[in-house]
Amino acid sequence: MPKPWTLRICHLYPSLLGVAGDRGNLIAIQQRCAWRDIGTEVTEVGVETVPDFSAFDLILFHGGQDKEMDVAAKDVGDKAESLRQAVETDVVMLAVCAGYQLLGHYYQPFIGPRLAGIEALDLYTVGGARRFMNHIAIECDFAGGTRSLVGFENHSGQTRLGPELQPLGRVIAGGGNNGEDGAEGARYRQVYATYLHGPVLPKNPWFTDHLIWQGLRHRYGEIEPLSPLPDGAEERAHEAALKLALRMKGKTTALEPTPWRR
Amino acid sequence: MVAVQNGILGSARLSLAVSAGKLAGHTGRLLRVGGGTSLPGMVARALDPDVLRKMVGSTRARKLVVTGSNGKTTTCRMIAALAGAAGQRVFQNRTGSNLIQGITSVAVNGATIGGRLDTDLLIFETDEATMRLAVPEVKPDAIVVTNIFRDQLDRFGELYSVAASLEAMIGELPAESSAILNADDPLIASFAPEAKARRIYFGVRSEQVGAAVPEHAADTIRCVRCQHDLEYRKVYISHLGAYRCPNCGYERPPIDVAVTHAELSGTASTVELETPAGPLRLHLPLPGLHNIYNAAAAVAAAVGLGLDLSEAAAALADLRPAFGRLEEITAGERNVVLGFVKNPISYNTTLRTVLTRPGRKHVLAAHSNTVVDGEDFAWLWDVDLEELTPQLASLVVSGTKAEEVAMRFKYAGVDEPSIQVVPDRPAALEAALQNVESGGTLYILSGYTPTHELRRAMVQRGWVAPFWEE
Repeated sequence: MPKPWTLRICHLYPSLLGVAGDRGNLIAIQQRCAWRDIGTEVTEVGVETVPDFSAFDLILFHGGQDKEMDVAAKDVGDKAESLRQAVETDVVMLAVCAGYQLLGHYYQPFIGPRLAGIEALDLYTVGGARRFMNHIAIECDFAGGTRSLVGFENHSGQTRLGPELQPLGRVIAGGGNNGEDGAEGARYRQVYATYLHGPVLPKNPWFTDHLIWQGLRHRYGEIEPLSPLPDGAEERAHEAALKLALRMKGKTTALEPTPWRR
Repeated sequence: MVAVQNGILGSARLSLAVSAGKLAGHTGRLLRVGGGTSLPGMVARALDPDVLRKMVGSTRARKLVVTGSNGKTTTCRMIAALAGAAGQRVFQNRTGSNLIQGITSVAVNGATIGGRLDTDLLIFETDEATMRLAVPEVKPDAIVVTNIFRDQLDRFGELYSVAASLEAMIGELPAESSAILNADDPLIASFAPEAKARRIYFGVRSEQVGAAVPEHAADTIRCVRCQHDLEYRKVYISHLGAYRCPNCGYERPPIDVAVTHAELSGTASTVELETPAGPLRLHLPLPGLHNIYNAAAAVAAAVGLGLDLSEAAAALADLRPAFGRLEEITAGERNVVLGFVKNPISYNTTLRTVLTRPGRKHVLAAHSNTVVDGEDFAWLWDVDLEELTPQLASLVVSGTKAEEVAMRFKYAGVDEPSIQVVPDRPAALEAALQNVESGGTLYILSGYTPTHELRRAMVQRGWVAPFWEE
C-alpha cells in the first residue's frame, strides 16, 4: 500500500551549484523514497526569486566553482531571512562545500573580495593556499551509535566553527574543515553541512535515510522508522571508498605526480 | 631564453637521447607493452631534458598544438588527413598520449638519429594541464582550442583556471601565428581579444541539428562578461551554440569556418561548410554532432596553415574512428563497439549516439581510479544513464571502480541483482560477450585505462590490431 507521504524538496541554485556530481544526492533521495512508495516533489530555485523556504521539508544547497559561487553569494542575501526561518523551524538542509560556506558569516577567498554568508550558522571560512583534494572518511554520532561517512573533498576554503556549533563528524582520514582541528562539517538543528562530495548521499545510505526521515517528520510529525532497503551495492561502494580514504590518509591530494604509474 | 647547446657535447647528448628514445619505442612494440606512445619521449627527456625544445627549435616544420576537453584526438587525425591530402609530411601523437612524454615522442619518433626533424607539419595533441609545459617548448605556429568542458576537476583544478591559462597562452602567440577557436563556446570565443595572432573561428550555423535549451550537465551558460544567464537561439552540445547575453549584448562572434548544413545518421554525417577558401561538402564516416565540430576545427586549422583544401572531401571520407571512439570491432561471431568516455559531456554524447542504434543494448561499463583516469568519479552522476536503462539487455561493470559504477546504475533504475560485477577487465569482457547473441553487439563504455586494457584483451584475441600499428 503506498503511503500518502510526499517529501517536498527544494533544489537550490541547480544550474549554479552542482559541480561535482552533487545532483546524485537528489537522485539518491528520490530513488530511496520511490523504493518505499514515498512521493517526492522537487522545486528548483534559482536567482531572483525568494520562496517561503519553510514550506519545504528538505533543502539541497550544493557546491560550485568560485565563479558560480560568486553569483549565488550575490543572490543569497535576498533569500537569507527566509532560509534562516526554515532552519529555525527544523526544515532539513544538506549543505555541501560552497553551500556549507555560505551558511556562515562570510567566505574570504584566497584572492578577491569577501563574500557574505546568510549567518544561519556560527562559522566562517578563509581560502587557503593549499587545496584538499582527496578521499575522506569521517565518523558521526547523531543518528544513534557511531557511523562513518565517506566521500571526496575538493576545497581550499578552511572553515572554523564557533564554540557552540557541533561539527558533523570527526575526521578519520582527510582534511575536513581546516586540516587542523579534526572536525568535519557542521550540524545545527536539522542542518547537515559538509565538505563531502562523492556525491555524499549514494555511498552513505544511512545518512540519506536519516535526512528523508527527518524531512518526513518535519511535514508529518512523529512517524515510524523507515523500512530498511537491500543496500548491497551501496555498502560495497562505501567499503571501497573507506578503504581508499584510509590508504590515502595523510596526503593533501590523492594525485601525487607519478608519471609512469597507471 | 632558449639555451640551445650548439657544441659537440650538446648535439651528442641530443643524438643519444633521440636514439635511446627510439630504441625504447621499438622495444616496447616488440614486447607488446604498448610502445611508441609515451615511452620514447620519457626516455629521451631523461637523457636530455631539452630534447623537445632543441628538435622543434631547429626544424623547418610547422607546429600545431591541439587542446581542449573533448575531440582532441579525432581533430588531430582529421588535420593529419587534410594535411596529407595537401601533400604535407606529418608527424603526430596518434593515440591520445597527450602528456609531455607523449608530446616529446612525436618529435623523437619523427626525427633522424641526429635529432633532425625533416618533415612539414608536427601535430601535438596536448592535454590542457600539459599546455603550460608544452607550449613554451614547442612554440607553436597555431593553437586549436576545441572546447572546454568540466573534465576531471581533481586533476585540473577548476574549469575557469584552465580557461584563464589557455587564454594567456593565446594572448602571447606572435603575430604570424594563428589561434583557431570555437566560436560556439562562450568561454573560448572570448579569449584574448587583444591577441596579435590571426584569429579563426569555427562553429555551427545549421538549423537541422541542435536543441533549444542547454542540457543540465552544461558548464558555462553564463555570460563571461557580466555573469548574466546567456540566451541560446540554438544549442548544439552542452553549452556550445548560438548564444547572446540579454544583459550586456555579448554574443557569438562571426564564424570563419561555419557548418551551414548538417545531416546526421547513427554512423555517419554529411555537412556543408563555408570557409574563407570557399564552400566545402564533406561526408564524415563518423557519427554524432561532436564529430561535426571536430571536422570544423580541423578545416579551420587547415585554413590557418594555408593548406590546399581541394582534396579535403576525399581525405576525410575514409577516416576511421580514433582509438576507442566508438570503434567497431568484429569479435568472432559478435561485434564490439568500443566507446571511450571521460567526462559527463563525452559520456552523454557517446551515449546518445549509441541510443540512436536499434535494439536493446548489451553493455560493459568500466572505470578505474588512476593518475590518468582521476580519483573522483562523482561526474558519473551527471551522466544521463537513466536514458540507457530502458534499452539495456544486459550489464557488466568492471574496473577498480566497479562497485561505484554498479551503484550508479542501480540508482539509474537498473535492478541490482541483474548487474554483473566483474572487476577484472579481461574476465569482464568474457562475461559481457557471453550475454550477447551471435551476430549481436556489445557496447563498451569505459574510461581511459580500462579502454586500453579491454582493447589489449581484444588484440590478444586477434580481433583488432594494436593501436600503434594504425
